[in-house]
Amino acid sequence: MQAEQKKAIENFLAEKTGAALARVDSASLLSGGAIQENWLLSVRFEGGSCHGDLDCVLRSDAPSGVSASHSRAQEFALLTAAFSVEVTVPEPLWQGDESVFGRHFFVMRRASGTAAGYRIVKEAGLGGDKEKLAERIGEEMAKLHSIVPPHAGLDFLKCPSLSPALQGVNEFREFLDGHHTAFPALEWGIRWLEKNAPVTDALVLAHRDFRTGNYMVDENGLTAVLDWEFAAWSDRLEDLGWFCARCWRFGRFEKEAGGIGSRRALLDGYEHVSGIRPDPDAIFFWEVYAHVRWAIIALQQGERHVSGHEPSLELALTAHIVPELELEILRMTGVQHA
Amino acid sequence: MREHPDGAALLAMAREVLRKELLPLLPKEKTYDALMLINAIGIAERQLQFGEQPQRAEKAELCALLDEEGSLAELNRSFARKIREGEFDSRAAARQLLWDATVQRVRESSPKALPAYGL
Repeated sequence: MQAEQKKAIENFLAEKTGAALARVDSASLLSGGAIQENWLLSVRFEGGSCHGDLDCVLRSDAPSGVSASHSRAQEFALLTAAFSVEVTVPEPLWQGDESVFGRHFFVMRRASGTAAGYRIVKEAGLGGDKEKLAERIGEEMAKLHSIVPPHAGLDFLKCPSLSPALQGVNEFREFLDGHHTAFPALEWGIRWLEKNAPVTDALVLAHRDFRTGNYMVDENGLTAVLDWEFAAWSDRLEDLGWFCARCWRFGRFEKEAGGIGSRRALLDGYEHVSGIRPDPDAIFFWEVYAHVRWAIIALQQGERHVSGHEPSLELALTAHIVPELELEILRMTGVQHA
Repeated sequence: MREHPDGAALLAMAREVLRKELLPLLPKEKTYDALMLINAIGIAERQLQFGEQPQRAEKAELCALLDEEGSLAELNRSFARKIREGEFDSRAAARQLLWDATVQRVRESSPKALPAYGL
């Protein structure tokens, strides 16, 4: 971080907290942000509301400025809403604009732990008791789903005009119509979704990327739910289906809740908090939906490489996940011939 | 005429050298990159091994099912459109074709997924 930027951040932090002095003792860029840039800051405050030491993360758009689904201000609003109903998220602290850092940004409290899905499903002890972790995830989802529209601060989220399921069907088809290659098996899955689409009685705030790999744990359990860029008003079962979908179990297929625990534990947790026991048959629709949606996203990621805009082996290989997702879609919708 | 070993055999050997000799020497943060390389080489190798035969078979089956002529890409576009319109909702031959074509693509892109399907 340039000295000038650091000075500006220090002034910003002092002003926000009423501190006589805010000193950034260390600033390091965290890896893995093509769209966002994350700086880990250790700050020393003298006086004010945060007197003492604070480890926090400054999150801004990346300098290359690829457009994302939610702006930083919107992401801050989502974290604020989730934090207010006690979802375990990094506490959102302050947001600032270009005049301070050259780009919009916000500051949140640092959460510690690991998010690596393949490690969480494999390593005993990581995440604490895994059945309890699955139950806790259910509780977290139920808390999040207590947020319903209209909600002050979240007016940038549009209410779907169709049911969320049919809205998805339209979006998937729209993408495939503009894509250079046809995917008959995906079309089959989308046709099944269209014919089996449920009516959603009540919209809730859904995370829409709540899966193993997108939350952090330490040896005691959950420390933070991450990656809020897809959050939207949707069906409460979309999050449960996404979490349980076979493609997000990191190879631990027998652990139906995210490769970490039983479906029953997840639903128990959901019921404790919400009083609602989701119907497994109804969740099944959203598991098929999850495979179709992930396949479409994988195609979009692969296309970033194929188009030549962003050559990347990781993106290129993501396109090659699509066939196995299609195979599972065919199995789930009764096509399997073997 | 081409030299032996052919492209698929060269890729298989390259993959083995990478996995057995280079991977253990790499720093931990580069392991993921090496695993991606191994995966990519494997996909290219299997596509070469299978050659164009599966594509030709898929094309012939699509021509028969749709009663149309065209390139494989055109035929799949037409198949996709008809599936969307519900024309194949209850036709066993279409399901069989979908399943077979998808299994073949999985054989090339991620064969490790197949045993779970009894394949």
